Amino acid sequence: MASLITCPHCGVRPKEEFTVRGDALPQRPASHAPDEAWHAYVYLRDNVKGVIFEHWHHVGGCRRFLVVERDNVSHAVLSVTDAALFRRPDVPGEDAQASAGKGLA
Amino acid sequence: MSITYTHRHVLEDHITGFETRPNANHLSVFRRPAIAYVLAHAGHESDVDLALDMADGLSKRICGPAEWLAVSQEMTPDNLMRSLTSIAGAAVLDDSDGRVLMRLDGPHARKILAKCVAVDLHPDAFALDASAPMLIAHVSGNLARTAEDAFELIVQRSTAGTVFEEIKEMGREFALTAGFA
Ligand SMILES: [Zn+2]
Repeated sequence: MASLITCPHCGVRPKEEFTVRGDALPQRPASHAPDEAWHAYVYLRDNVKGVIFEHWHHVGGCRRFLVVERDNVSHAVLSVTDAALFRRPDVPGEDAQASAGKGLA
Repeated sequence: MSITYTHRHVLEDHITGFETRPNANHLSVFRRPAIAYVLAHAGHESDVDLALDMADGLSKRICGPAEWLAVSQEMTPDNLMRSLTSIAGAAVLDDSDGRVLMRLDGPHARKILAKCVAVDLHPDAFALDASAPMLIAHVSGNLARTAEDAFELIVQRSTAGTVFEEIKEMGREFALTAGFA
């Protein structure tokens, strides 16, 4: 696993300071969405080999949620963004331009 | 019936026996520092940041975006709160009894801390007056560089014993002494 994460607020930190909270790409369905959509959102995950986006919580530092883009084959970390500023990349078959969250005020 | 409370520092039991003369490498524990937690309301981040820099008699420690600790050894917690609550756009919480302030100084301070934190403390990387939240001996705390070879650390009261013992152990090879300031 990637051993050094460059937190946008704290700088280069070891992975021990973080908790990985899983895939950052699934889009929360509307509250009235069918059960299938909710089931998929809560339980179904692709087991991607290659570039993945994950939520990393910097518990040992600034306590912000970050989105870490990394390659799980080469262990390279490609980008680290504050989760509040993260925008999902265009994913085929998904409603692409939905924003991940409101900007950091 | 009235009860009289006596103030007892949480590390009292860890610092027992006769007072040793401090060696070159020394860990001092401050008995009653004033520590306040400061947050900025949306839109006031840079104003509060600046106000903390300008304020007299206190030192600013970075905790994350729009979050700081204000530390003072001269002021009482009440006085610190008074000077902070006048800052527009800031939410302030007195945490003087909830956190413990320690200072590690000496020529080997960095070598001791290198075994406790995973952050680059080289003078070029961690400048004078720099501060950051980080894991200190596996416990989250705040580390600041206050002089050439001096670092101040703040941890939660409940974890101070662990951190204190850990730093003392890591400092053993450098004859680290410890005591109240
Ligand atoms: Zn961070």
